[in-house]
Amino acid sequence: MVLLAFLVLIALAAIRMRDLFIVVMLFSVYSLMTAALFMDLDAVDVAFTEAAVGAGVTGVLMLSTLRLTGRWERRPSHGPLLPLIVVGITGAALIYGTLDAPLLGDPAAPVQQHVAPRYIEQGPVEVGMPNMVTAVLASYRGFDTFGETFVIFTAGIAVLLLLGIQEGPETRPGRTAIGDQLVLRVVVKMVIPLILLYALYVQFHGDFGAGGGFQAGVILATAFVLYDLVFGEGDARLVVPPSWLHRLGALGVLLYGAVGLYALFAGKPFLDYSALAHDPVHGQHLGVLLVELGVGITVFSIVLAIFYALSGRRKAS
Amino acid sequence: MLDAAILAVLVTMVLALVRAFQGPSVYDRILAANLFGTKTVLLIALGGYALQWHSFLDIALLYALVNFVGTIAVMRFFEYGSDTEEADNGGAR
Repeated sequence: MVLLAFLVLIALAAIRMRDLFIVVMLFSVYSLMTAALFMDLDAVDVAFTEAAVGAGVTGVLMLSTLRLTGRWERRPSHGPLLPLIVVGITGAALIYGTLDAPLLGDPAAPVQQHVAPRYIEQGPVEVGMPNMVTAVLASYRGFDTFGETFVIFTAGIAVLLLLGIQEGPETRPGRTAIGDQLVLRVVVKMVIPLILLYALYVQFHGDFGAGGGFQAGVILATAFVLYDLVFGEGDARLVVPPSWLHRLGALGVLLYGAVGLYALFAGKPFLDYSALAHDPVHGQHLGVLLVELGVGITVFSIVLAIFYALSGRRKAS
Repeated sequence: MLDAAILAVLVTMVLALVRAFQGPSVYDRILAANLFGTKTVLLIALGGYALQWHSFLDIALLYALVNFVGTIAVMRFFEYGSDTEEADNGGAR
């Protein structure tokens, strides 16, 4: 309840602000709050994603956008009355709709009756993974996750088509005042290997604990974003050149699809990982590992490509 | 003891929020948002221990990391900061 009250307060404050920079700060607080709420609901993986994507990378990307578009929101030309009525009616309709829905955690709810018991009872036997979320996401619902990966890939391609990654004359290494801060440089140099290690841990530990490809890709991209922010744009681009990124993004999707096609050619349904090894459970492990790796590669390259595309541009003036 | 600590952290979060909403200058708000992030890490560490959440330390670690990167990004934004001329009459209205 306290967390929800915080959320409402932050949202109201964000609406009232005209300074978009402060709105971004408030949204990052909002995102942290949401993630804490997910923790409270025992949805660790969702909280993980929310923290990595919502609080971390989105804030950085929005700041990069603000740098290009300007910081102040214009006053709207219309009055607030009509939008308020529309939003009020829609909200009332939605709340009316929830009156029929079962309560949260109700054991008789359709969500708990349909396929969930099978996942919970058969999952550890069929897929053999301690983390049920990964088992459902990557194995039972592998097709949906394939679709999600494609959505991310498409979004990245769209951003690259619209903006493109530019190599402006200012993208030279070591030309920022923030890069002159000795303490910051040393701390960042020490932190980045830990971030990379942590990303790999999240990637490969997803079978056992919270985490997986989506989160790991974002964390890995965060490490490069941090490097780029502190040491100037040129250096990060030397490590991961922009021209590799769209290839890497495609590679991740291809890896995912190839696992599915392999199963197809082995005489099993598309994305049935038990075709990958003689032992079905072993095959599931291998399949989930490969698929998560594909997801991680795609997410990493797309997030970094969007960051490059935004940070490489200069405000037209 | 643990309850008292959680309560104290929550109160600090409220104070940080108040500062983030009012904050006369932008830097107050940055500091408030940063403080809020740090307090969230503490809250998760404490709450996770008290309520027996699993793998809460992973999340707390990630938060600490994300908060750091976010602050650096903000500093970088202000370094480029071109339009500060309106900075005085902005804010809560």
